[in-house]
Amino acid sequence: MFRSPKSGALTVAFLCFASPALVAGPLGIGETATPEMIAGWDIDIRPDGRGLPPGEGSVADGEGLYEAKCASCHGLFGEGAGRWPILAGGEGTLDTAHPEKTVGSYWPYASTLWDYIHRAMPYPAPQSLTDDEVYAITAYVLYLNDIVEDDFVLNQETFQEVKMPNEPNFYIDDRPDVVNTRCMSQCADASTFEIVTTINGVTPTAHFKEDSGVAANHYGNEAATAEATKVALSDAAVAGKSIYAKACNVCHGAGVAGAPVTGDAAAWSERIAQGMATLNKHAIEGYVGKNGVMPAKGGNMALADEEVANAVAFMVESSQ
Amino acid sequence: MTKLFEPSLPKLMEALATEAQGLKGMDRRNFLKGGIAAVAGLASVQIIPKANAQPNLPPNIPEWQTYLGRGVVAKPYGEPSEFEDLQRRTVPWLTADAQSSISMTPLQDLEGIITPSGLVFERYHGGIPNVNPEQHRLIIHGLVERPIVLSMDDLRRFPSVSEIRFIECPANGGMEWRGAQMEAVQFTHGMLSCCEWTGVKLSTLLAEVGVKPEGQWILAEGADAAGMSRSIPMEKALDDALVVWGQNGEALRPEQGYPVRLLLPGWEGNTSVKWLRRLEIGDQPWHHREETSKYTDLMPDGRARRFTWVQECNSVITSPCPEKPLRHRGFLEIQGLAWSGKGKIKAVDVSFDGGVNWQRAELKGLVLDKALTRFSLQTQWNGEPWLLQSRAIDETGYVQPTLKQLRDLRGGWSIYHKNSIHTWNVTEKGEVYNVQIT
Ligand code: HEC
Ligand code: HEC
Repeated sequence: MFRSPKSGALTVAFLCFASPALVAGPLGIGETATPEMIAGWDIDIRPDGRGLPPGEGSVADGEGLYEAKCASCHGLFGEGAGRWPILAGGEGTLDTAHPEKTVGSYWPYASTLWDYIHRAMPYPAPQSLTDDEVYAITAYVLYLNDIVEDDFVLNQETFQEVKMPNEPNFYIDDRPDVVNTRCMSQCADASTFEIVTTINGVTPTAHFKEDSGVAANHYGNEAATAEATKVALSDAAVAGKSIYAKACNVCHGAGVAGAPVTGDAAAWSERIAQGMATLNKHAIEGYVGKNGVMPAKGGNMALADEEVANAVAFMVESSQ
Repeated sequence: MTKLFEPSLPKLMEALATEAQGLKGMDRRNFLKGGIAAVAGLASVQIIPKANAQPNLPPNIPEWQTYLGRGVVAKPYGEPSEFEDLQRRTVPWLTADAQSSISMTPLQDLEGIITPSGLVFERYHGGIPNVNPEQHRLIIHGLVERPIVLSMDDLRRFPSVSEIRFIECPANGGMEWRGAQMEAVQFTHGMLSCCEWTGVKLSTLLAEVGVKPEGQWILAEGADAAGMSRSIPMEKALDDALVVWGQNGEALRPEQGYPVRLLLPGWEGNTSVKWLRRLEIGDQPWHHREETSKYTDLMPDGRARRFTWVQECNSVITSPCPEKPLRHRGFLEIQGLAWSGKGKIKAVDVSFDGGVNWQRAELKGLVLDKALTRFSLQTQWNGEPWLLQSRAIDETGYVQPTLKQLRDLRGGWSIYHKNSIHTWNVTEKGEVYNVQIT
């Protein structure tokens, strides 16, 4: 039929119909986002305060809220429990051998703190705080960092007075900063080489080395912990369980760095035979053993001696 | 010859070898013949149970050839052979829990340049949300003419593209800043993956809403518990940014942001916000937690770089590596991966002596913009120790730096963007160790 002269015209008409000109501009896909929809999701706060809702909260109100909702992970003074993030301290450390980046020592803007606590904290229950609670807790964390006084009340207006000390110390990425050249021969002097190797026992290598006890696919020894909950624990051990989870499980859960795995009776029998006094002393003061280094209090000096002893009780009772 | 009747084959061979030591020339040849005959004879009597441990090897007929195998759709969604040990792995002591944590891609086990979806490295700040795509929306608003809300259905109506791009966490290798630490390539370099991504150009979506002239920045926000948020400059958004729903030919995996994520090719992985729910156009950046407290680079003078978005040119040898030591002398193909956030890989060089002398490697297969690129060098290994390195050069002419060059400028505390030349120490035995040359 395409051979007939008459249908030629028809074909052209058909093509025009089938291929409309490409639309310039919007394709008209999607619906209008209404102000109500946007208001529910538009939670971001900017350094100039844009986005801060009405409301307020004082340092005093923040203290109780922080202790109830935040301190279990971040510590009563923002010092961080176990491996949970530190929120306060560290001033003057950024150019030292051990820089400590915290809200007070590092963060350039207070708006970030309000925004982040509101969107992501408390960690297990994000976006559960009211605006007034966020104001109060933000004020309290600023207070823990000596950025506001204890009678400070945070709201849209007072926000503008808050200045973060480290703000001037950020600058825009200036890479590329290093310039290497594509030298092909005699590019370095091998006689000056110092070869630095890795420390044993930190890498999880159980999947390719038979002699490694460190596994790479789980957090802590869940089987052992499950087993541990079956035995009747003493009061001390019950009290020590959460300390253990925060400060000791990181090494003793999976056997990191040579630590005896909690729940592994064989690894613990000789240790337990030394008696609780020795174990407690080793755990509180730290020591260097045959398998590695046990840091004092697991590296968490904020723990009271008794808390460490309770954690030891939990470990021992779970490993018999 | 009574020794020969011990049932263990290795012991038997050892005994043969010991006795053969004492003999010479013809004697020795004759002895060996006799010995082997003895072994063969023995095999029919005593060693057979042992030999049966390998009943599938020639000349035997493999067991799996003697009956019918599994039929179609026995596994409607396939999985790797049970004989493979393909796993993302983590370093448990790195983080306090598994929700704000990281796992690495087993680079040592991969072929070509594509990372299978199930092995793409993971990084979450609040776990993986279980997003129902029918109830998921992307809102685009702010300094625009027409704020819109898009369902997944709407998104798929836009003209789409498919592109192969790497994603790398800027903290890849970060554990190695202050010294060699991880004894495995999976942990030194595995926060790195490369997939084919399918979606719509962000510029298409921006044309749809009509950005006002003051609109210079975009806040991208996720629907996860962390409410992940990053400020993106308009220039990148209009350049090569994508909003993707497809990964390696199927829907995104939950781990990678199902049902939809941002993809900023060549930029630090964190900016490619997953579970994307909102794009707000504004006139200045937001300076949120992931671009102030985190993902900023502390320098030795105590000041810090911000908006360090680009993943500069990098490379690593993945075979051999600690997980894949050398087991054979003679011919060897060295292989590895190179990548650059600024474009294509132009060349890769390999050094056997810790960077004194270099040889040009070959680029294998596809060489794509901001994608993993595989390189190879065919050589011989005869038990000599090596300090094995690779050095990549990208199309901008940037040459991957040495660790010393990086440290001299940046110190040891910047956590992110450690893209220096990596060294494997290959020992006489063929074992491979992670070392640093200072
Ligand atoms: C169950 C433990 C837990 C609790 C409770 C908790 N947090 Fe957090 N917090 C975390 C973790 C984990 C992170 C890091 C998340 C990540 O990796 O992105 C964090 C990060 C933070 C940060 C950012 C730290 C930095 O240096 O970037 C702030 C600020 C913070 N939390 C404040 C709070 C406040 C305020 C509360 C109480 C309302 C709270 N958190 C409750 C676990 C917790
Ligand atoms: C950084 C890793 C690490 C952390 C964190 C850690 N330990 Fe240990 N711990 C070790 C190592 C390694 C050993 C074994 C040392 C040896 O005997 O060679 C050890 C041994 C022990 C022992 C046995 C002592 C002995 O005499 O045999 C006790 C008890 C103990 N730790 C308690 C604790 C408690 C309680 C905590 C938490 C407050 C803790 N550890 C946190 C690494 C750690």
